Amino acid sequence: MTTVPLTTSPVETDWAQLARRARWTNRARTSALYAFLIAVSIPIILPYFWLVTIAFSARTGIAETQVLWRSLLVLVPAIIACWVVAMVARNLRRMLAGFAVVAAITAVAFITLVGPSLHLGNFIFLVERDFASVVRSRVGEVRGATQFPSVWRAFWNSIVLAGSQTIIVVTVASLAGYYLSRFQFPGRAPMLRSLLVLHAFPVMTLIVPMFLMLYYIGLLDTLFGVILVLVAFELPFAIFIMKGFFDAVPWDIEMSALTDGASRRQAFVKVVLPQVTNGIIAVSVFSFIRGWEEYIFVFTFLIRNTNWTMSLYMFFVRDDVMGVDFGVVSAVGVFYLVPSLVLYAAAQRYLMQMSIGGVKG
Amino acid sequence: MASIEFRNVIKRFGDVEVIPGLNLTIEHGEFVALLGPSGCGKSTSLFMLAGIYLPSGGELLFDGHLVNEVEARDRNVGIVFQSYALYPHMNVHDNILFPLRFKKTPREEALVRVKAAAELVHVGELLDRRPSELSGGQQQRVALARALVKEPQILLLDEPLSNLDATLRLTMRTEIKSLQKKLGVTTILVTHDQIEATTMADRVICMRGGGIEQVGTPDDLYLRPASLFIAGFIGSPPVNLIRGTAENGAVHVGATVFPSEGIRGDVTIGLRPEHLKFAGDGLRGRIAEIEPMGREILYVVDTDVGHVRVLEHGSAAAHSAGEAVHIDFSPTEALLFRTSNEKLIAGANVCPPRRAS
Ligand SMILES: Nc1ncnc2c1ncn2[C@@H]1O[C@H](COP(=O)(O)OP(=O)(O)OP(=O)(O)O)[C@@H](O)[C@H]1O
Ligand SMILES: [Mg+2]
Repeated sequence: MTTVPLTTSPVETDWAQLARRARWTNRARTSALYAFLIAVSIPIILPYFWLVTIAFSARTGIAETQVLWRSLLVLVPAIIACWVVAMVARNLRRMLAGFAVVAAITAVAFITLVGPSLHLGNFIFLVERDFASVVRSRVGEVRGATQFPSVWRAFWNSIVLAGSQTIIVVTVASLAGYYLSRFQFPGRAPMLRSLLVLHAFPVMTLIVPMFLMLYYIGLLDTLFGVILVLVAFELPFAIFIMKGFFDAVPWDIEMSALTDGASRRQAFVKVVLPQVTNGIIAVSVFSFIRGWEEYIFVFTFLIRNTNWTMSLYMFFVRDDVMGVDFGVVSAVGVFYLVPSLVLYAAAQRYLMQMSIGGVKG
Repeated sequence: MASIEFRNVIKRFGDVEVIPGLNLTIEHGEFVALLGPSGCGKSTSLFMLAGIYLPSGGELLFDGHLVNEVEARDRNVGIVFQSYALYPHMNVHDNILFPLRFKKTPREEALVRVKAAAELVHVGELLDRRPSELSGGQQQRVALARALVKEPQILLLDEPLSNLDATLRLTMRTEIKSLQKKLGVTTILVTHDQIEATTMADRVICMRGGGIEQVGTPDDLYLRPASLFIAGFIGSPPVNLIRGTAENGAVHVGATVFPSEGIRGDVTIGLRPEHLKFAGDGLRGRIAEIEPMGREILYVVDTDVGHVRVLEHGSAAAHSAGEAVHIDFSPTEALLFRTSNEKLIAGANVCPPRRAS
């Protein structure tokens, strides 16, 4: 085979070498990026990882940190190995095969190094209402335990609080956002401005007047009272977000629905609302998580322990057993965390689209 | 199947008066085209008919009944929006079905009608697609099917063919027209395309700045444009306009004299390129440019009164650039407008300049 020179230039271009160089530059750049991402994500991921490890391994009265380091010994090489595989693999099949190998090795290492320390004993609170006394008795303390409600009671309260708050916020914010987006009325601009200003106040500043208001209308120490307060604080921003989504819905499809025989309400429900599902999902998720995490208001406005939410439960567990058994505290933390994670995982596909929002006009 | 009457209808947006007082009657079953430059209020007028905009003043009548305050959904008006306005979350089938959902049409009958409407505009194979998966032309046809499926008494088409290719546009033109005749539905077609307007409609309404400039048959607008604006707007290539002063039985443009009886004052002569021909005598000039346009050839002639466009039949140029020519025309085909108010001077004749004998 003879090579035919493609160019007439005196210096022969070495395309293969150029391609090699480009490949290496590319790899170096990607490596640097990954290294950076790993460096910044470790401080974020590590606490969660340790939380889970402690919840499943710590034993009452024993302050042992070795298992944390052993689990890290498994985790960190596994992450680096995955990253290297992703970098080096030339095609998808090889990459998957590489991941499988890494996963197998990690599993074996995990079972041998960490496995023996794992147990479910810290989740005793799920079945034993008076777990505080049980845990204390293990270290010889018999008295002084807090009276805890069942964790399921607190869980249910949190669901009710976050759920009803979400339903109210989404309903009101959708209607108000639509109205603000579509209709001209006196005071519209000041109203929009005040929506944002309202959100700027730190909620703590209003805690005393809120307490008094709830006291006078008789909603102190009720979940409903806290729900109302939360709704009031959540609404302005939710309305603002929903207005943005409605702004992105073109007018003409609405007009078209009206001429097609729909009433205003039918046009809203059948034509406009389906265009803002992403906005509704986003607002729902954020309000739910906000309600789920709520701490200040429930701490201030709820008194009876049957009204406790998960955040209060978590707080009192920490208050009561931390010194005795941080394994149980971590286990409660994991239990408290799971619903948020599930919700995010389920909704993340929609949340990712949030910036795009609405319909193309 | 209703007659429409605008009685001094006004539309304001805030302080801006977009339509300062529209008077117009459209007969029962008539097909009219609304022609006019962008922003002259065509869509706004349609939206008032459809009940989307409330008139700020005046009266709007269907069959002699005041409908100003009748709600959009009760008007039974089919409308194809300039932007199609298909429902993005529904497939083509559901889009076309949508109007029938509010009419209590029995399910089986509704499905049959959706199929029929879709076939009519050739989107029968696209029923499962979302609007975002359609081309602009396909979306337009779906919008048309959606407007037709409810068998409206008034059909409003806001540039329904603007996105179709030339062949499809031609077929759709004939189809819309025959469909309109068959259903007898009163139809208003908004268009920028004067050929579309003149071929499809019984009457053409020319709008300008929210008012009506002229109403008439396509021929009226072409042969007897009421104003300079219409003369310039209708016809392609555009009319030649020559400004001059009429006195002593002739229009004087510089040193050139167009004999014309009985007129005085500043006037503008309008000469359609297709009414001009090369002859032994007439307006003197020299051919500056030759533009072949398929079956016609456009000559741009440099004369003492400026550039004049002449359109000749034939596919090969009979003249060459630089050639000295005389442009002749028939006095009855020349248009004469008063320059001050831009209105046509009816019955005035202008003759081509003649060589001094
Ligand atoms: N909602 C509105 N608010 C304020 N002004 C408006 C509104 N809708 C239309 N206008 C104005 O009214 C005038 C007429 O608009 P319209 O849409 O009727 O024009 P059109 O003749 O349909 O033009 P085109 O051929 O470009 O579609 C324009 O000057 C436009 O700016
Ligand atoms: Mg328009």
